[in-house]
Amino acid sequence: MNRLYNSMEPRVMDDDMLKLAVGDQGPQEEAGQLAKQEGILFKDVLSLQLDFRNILRIDNLWQFENLRKLQLNNNIIEKIEGLENLTHLVWLDLSFNNIETIEGLDTLVNLEDLSLFNNRISKIDSLDTLVKLQVLSLGNNRIDNMMNIIYLRRFKCLRTLSLSGNPISEAEDYKMFICAYLADLVYLDFRRIDDHTKELAEAKHQYSIDELKHRENLMQARLEEEQAQREELEKHKTAFVEHLNGSFLFDSMYAEDSEGNKLSYLPGVSELLETYKDKFVIICVNIFEYGLKQQEKRKTELDTFSECVHEAIQENQEQGKRKIARFEEKHLSSLSAIREESELPNIEKMILECSADISELFDALMMLEMQLVEQLELFVDKDTIVNAVGASHDIHLLKIDNREDELVTRINSWCTRLVDKIHKDEIMRNRRRVKEINQYIDHMQSELDNLECGDILD
Amino acid sequence: MEVLREKVEEEEEAEREEAAERAEWVRMEKMMRPVEVRKEETTLKQETLRDLEKKLSEIQITVSAELPAFTKDTIDISKLPVSYKTNTPKEEHLLQVADNFSRQYSHLCPDRVPLFLHPLNECEVPKFVSTTLRPTLMPYPELYNWDSCAQFVSDFLTMVPLPDPLKPPSHMYSSTTVLKYQKGNCFDFSTLLCSMLIGSGYDAYCVNGYGSLDLCHMDLTREVCPLTVKPKETIKEEEKVLPKKYTIKPPRDLCSRFEQEQEVKKQQEIRAQEQKRLREEEERLMEAEKAKPDALHGLRVHSWVLVLSGKREVPENFFIDPFTGHSYSTQDEHFLGIESLWNHKNYWINMQDCWNCCKDLIFDLGDPVRWEYMLLGTDKSQLSLTEEDDSGINDEDDVENLGKEDEDKSFDMPHSWVEQIEISPEGTNILEIKEWYQNREDMLELKHMNKTTDLKTDYFKPGHPQALRVHSYKSMQPEMDRVIEFYETARVDGLIKREETPRTMTEYYQGRPDFLSYRHANFGPRVKKFTLSSAESNPRPIVKITERFFRNPAKPAEEDVAERVFLVAEERIQLRYHCREDHITASKREFLRRTEVDNKGNKIIMTPDMCISFEVEPMEHTKKLLYQYEAMMHLKREEKLSRHQVWESELEVLEILKLREEEEAAHTLTISIYDTKRNEKSKEYREAMERVMHEEHLRQVETQLDYLAPFLAQLPPGEKLTRWQAVRLKDECLSDFKQRLINKANLIQARFEKETQELQKKQQWYQENQVTLTPEDEDLYLSYCSQAMFRIRILEQRLNRHKELAPLKYLALEEKLYKDPRLGELQKIFA
Repeated sequence: MNRLYNSMEPRVMDDDMLKLAVGDQGPQEEAGQLAKQEGILFKDVLSLQLDFRNILRIDNLWQFENLRKLQLNNNIIEKIEGLENLTHLVWLDLSFNNIETIEGLDTLVNLEDLSLFNNRISKIDSLDTLVKLQVLSLGNNRIDNMMNIIYLRRFKCLRTLSLSGNPISEAEDYKMFICAYLADLVYLDFRRIDDHTKELAEAKHQYSIDELKHRENLMQARLEEEQAQREELEKHKTAFVEHLNGSFLFDSMYAEDSEGNKLSYLPGVSELLETYKDKFVIICVNIFEYGLKQQEKRKTELDTFSECVHEAIQENQEQGKRKIARFEEKHLSSLSAIREESELPNIEKMILECSADISELFDALMMLEMQLVEQLELFVDKDTIVNAVGASHDIHLLKIDNREDELVTRINSWCTRLVDKIHKDEIMRNRRRVKEINQYIDHMQSELDNLECGDILD
Repeated sequence: MEVLREKVEEEEEAEREEAAERAEWVRMEKMMRPVEVRKEETTLKQETLRDLEKKLSEIQITVSAELPAFTKDTIDISKLPVSYKTNTPKEEHLLQVADNFSRQYSHLCPDRVPLFLHPLNECEVPKFVSTTLRPTLMPYPELYNWDSCAQFVSDFLTMVPLPDPLKPPSHMYSSTTVLKYQKGNCFDFSTLLCSMLIGSGYDAYCVNGYGSLDLCHMDLTREVCPLTVKPKETIKEEEKVLPKKYTIKPPRDLCSRFEQEQEVKKQQEIRAQEQKRLREEEERLMEAEKAKPDALHGLRVHSWVLVLSGKREVPENFFIDPFTGHSYSTQDEHFLGIESLWNHKNYWINMQDCWNCCKDLIFDLGDPVRWEYMLLGTDKSQLSLTEEDDSGINDEDDVENLGKEDEDKSFDMPHSWVEQIEISPEGTNILEIKEWYQNREDMLELKHMNKTTDLKTDYFKPGHPQALRVHSYKSMQPEMDRVIEFYETARVDGLIKREETPRTMTEYYQGRPDFLSYRHANFGPRVKKFTLSSAESNPRPIVKITERFFRNPAKPAEEDVAERVFLVAEERIQLRYHCREDHITASKREFLRRTEVDNKGNKIIMTPDMCISFEVEPMEHTKKLLYQYEAMMHLKREEKLSRHQVWESELEVLEILKLREEEEAAHTLTISIYDTKRNEKSKEYREAMERVMHEEHLRQVETQLDYLAPFLAQLPPGEKLTRWQAVRLKDECLSDFKQRLINKANLIQARFEKETQELQKKQQWYQENQVTLTPEDEDLYLSYCSQAMFRIRILEQRLNRHKELAPLKYLALEEKLYKDPRLGELQKIFA
């Protein structure tokens, strides 16, 4: 039964409430003490329970980025909201609230278990993005349209469904209908669907289901076709020759040319125009094919390029790794030697040696890195790519200027963008590596310093 | 033996010089050196040479005191067989033929040296040279090819120079004697080698000719040291990597060009000096080494082996010098002339001029102009006829043959007088034993025992209950050195190999869901427990466990542990993570598990210094103590598990050892289900089946038994029975059957009565003589009684049974007769 919210003071989901809940539900005993000392960040919380708190409005949850499980049952929530940020959510319980419509769940694409039991929902809707949904609980709601069930056919992973306590569950055909239309379902209203029922249901509704399936298949096919077309166009766009494999350019040319249109009314011109169009189309198609070929070339060119860069970097990395491994071996032995040494001057001498080693390693690693940077510098060979563009340019000269300009500029901008990106990537990589080396060296140095302090204390 | 030492030194010098030669890249005139047959030889590098020099200098040459005298006095001829001491009539005949031949030859060619035909053997008996050859195939696969044979002969025998270097020897000993004393002159050498080669299928001949001084004295001073010759290296096919369009610039060269140039100049100067010095030295050496002109050049008698092409895929004729075992081309200038040659079948005299050594000789033994043969009718007549002189030669041939045919017709070489040549392998000590098994229940396939290391290795086929593959061990005691390999697919835990030493245990895994690849445990010395229950196991304390993991692709690299080390004794845990793809450092973490108490007495749960970590990409949450605490707790649990695992592994080893011992003791065999003779189960089943079949067969026979046949036979065949006939037939059949039943009953009755009577008689006799009977007789009587009683009882039972069954049988037959189609007439009435 829905509780009336005016019987009790509604509460606000504020920071204090959340902190309290997190503290209560966090680690216990020794770990709890530690947690208390340090405090828990909301974004580290994986599971949160906020039931029986008379919450009216979901709020303040945006910090819980990594939350996997959220329980908000037995409150007086009227609207699903404020959950947009919890994209990692797998388990959401909103049962025993006063929700009237399903909404605001579009970003929770990882949701597998959704409970909306005992609410005031009258229509199953707005769940399209929850493709991973496995368990859906919608019992004790106000769903009255049997055909609404067909909406659930899109959830391929759905195995458990509860709908008891809805107006539709009183229908005579309720169970059979659901079993027939949701063939992959395993549990309905917390009971396993036996094979016999499934067969019966299937036999009963076979005709309408077949029709439905046919419609769905058609829809699917259309979608796939559209997808394929979009991909094709995308491919052409990357080759900068979209809409060139037909009369599209010609048509667009004449669409704005009122003079030309007028000309076509003259006797004989229409035939001329026809042949002109044919030739034009043939040339367009030629360009189109050429463009595609060039695209292939660019691609292989780019692949070899990146492969070479990758190889160079990989080799450099291997060298670095070997250096570090060798250093670590030596370092470990010298550290243990230091620990065993009892004479202070000796220790100091050894520590000095160690730091010398560390700085030597630093130098070596940095040198490797500098070498690589130098090697990769000016290495990007624009020529080949520009050549490819130039070659196609010759043919394009014959074509309509507008289109050609567009093509060439686009190719050029693509080229510059590519080169920029490569440079940027390389710089980023370099920064990262330098940072890594510095970090490592700092760590080694501090470890050594610690040892020194410890020894002196001893 | 001083000479030998000198030679070694000389060789060394030669090597040094050779090395210098390499270094300078100076082409030296090879003309001064003997022509090498092996052209593909490459000389070694300088370091190797130095090594070699060192090795050679370490070799101690023992100078044997005894002189290499090998005269007949030292030979014990008493034990030699008869064939050595006498000549058979055939041999005598052969000697006469040879003498005749020799006379003709000396008459025809008075200026040539007398023939070497029949030297004396060790028993002072003249023997024809061909019969001294004893073709023998050695039972050793190593001695199948000519090079190994030659090497064996040259290694095994010690060379003795000819008593007179200008004449062939007066004696030629059998190969058996030569082998026994391991000494011989060039004729002995070539005889033995030739015997072996002919035995191996080569077309080989002993040659009596003239050799150079070096050859005759086995002087190898001017040869290239064989140890400096490397076998030709197989040139690796280098995969040509397609040069890529984009290549990175090579690292910038930061060396000064000027300095480099200066350095090069300096080097060159030094080298020039060195070269000069070397050249001078070389010249000096050459001077010293140059062969002195031999006064007896071309007169020194030598014997070697000729191998003709054709057999055993020999592509070209060549010589083998038996002293050194080296092969030479027939053009070689060491060989200065050939007088004669022979194999086990015939003897040929060279009629060609040897003014240009052997270079112009043609080894076509079938050509009687070039080679005068002694015996006709041997299969050696491969005359390669050329078109133009076809007829001429033929004519001559005919003339020659005509003259000889009279005396030599159908005369073939007598069998060799020499005993079977035997080479016994001596001084072999067993290094390893291999035993192969089959059909073993424990799947043991091969046992390999290495006697030098005392290591035993058992190989198993798939299917052992413990999935064993290889087990190598020195002792079956636990906690010793051993390696056990497993069929990892047959094991749940994916264990491939477990290596044990007294203090460690290493395990290798593959294909585990937790990506564990390696576990290594170090054990400490066993702590002595003074407990009463000695049966309780006392495992060795674990000091350290190292575990390594494969990369788990589902986890990010900085959270995927690559190696974890539990230092149990130090309460320390070290973790090393996998390295991220674009990084060169890997994260590390070290936990000190010490639980401490702070100055107020409160237990410290976790302090930052209990976890030292290096992180490539520090993340906020990993810095938190809570995270570290949880990680540590997790590791503690893992450590417990790992220790348990190690302990279980130890137990498993014990179990395996026990099982192996049991299996070795039982050594049962598996029997294939197709092996019908040995497989008990299948045998039983088969026998049961046979029994059933047999019974079935009997029943069939019975059903097929035709009661009517004897009666039908009385009637004319092929006619349909009339009703009357049918009735009569039936009645006859039934009455006959009845009679038989009665007869049988009577028979049983008669036997029964007889037995009873006998028993009664016996009883009577017993009662009469009871007093006088010995105990044995009494026993006899009693046993008889019991047996008789048994027989009577059985007969009684049979009788009763017969009485019961007889009417039934009678009825059954009656019914059967009614149903019999041949007596169909009967049914008509009744139907």
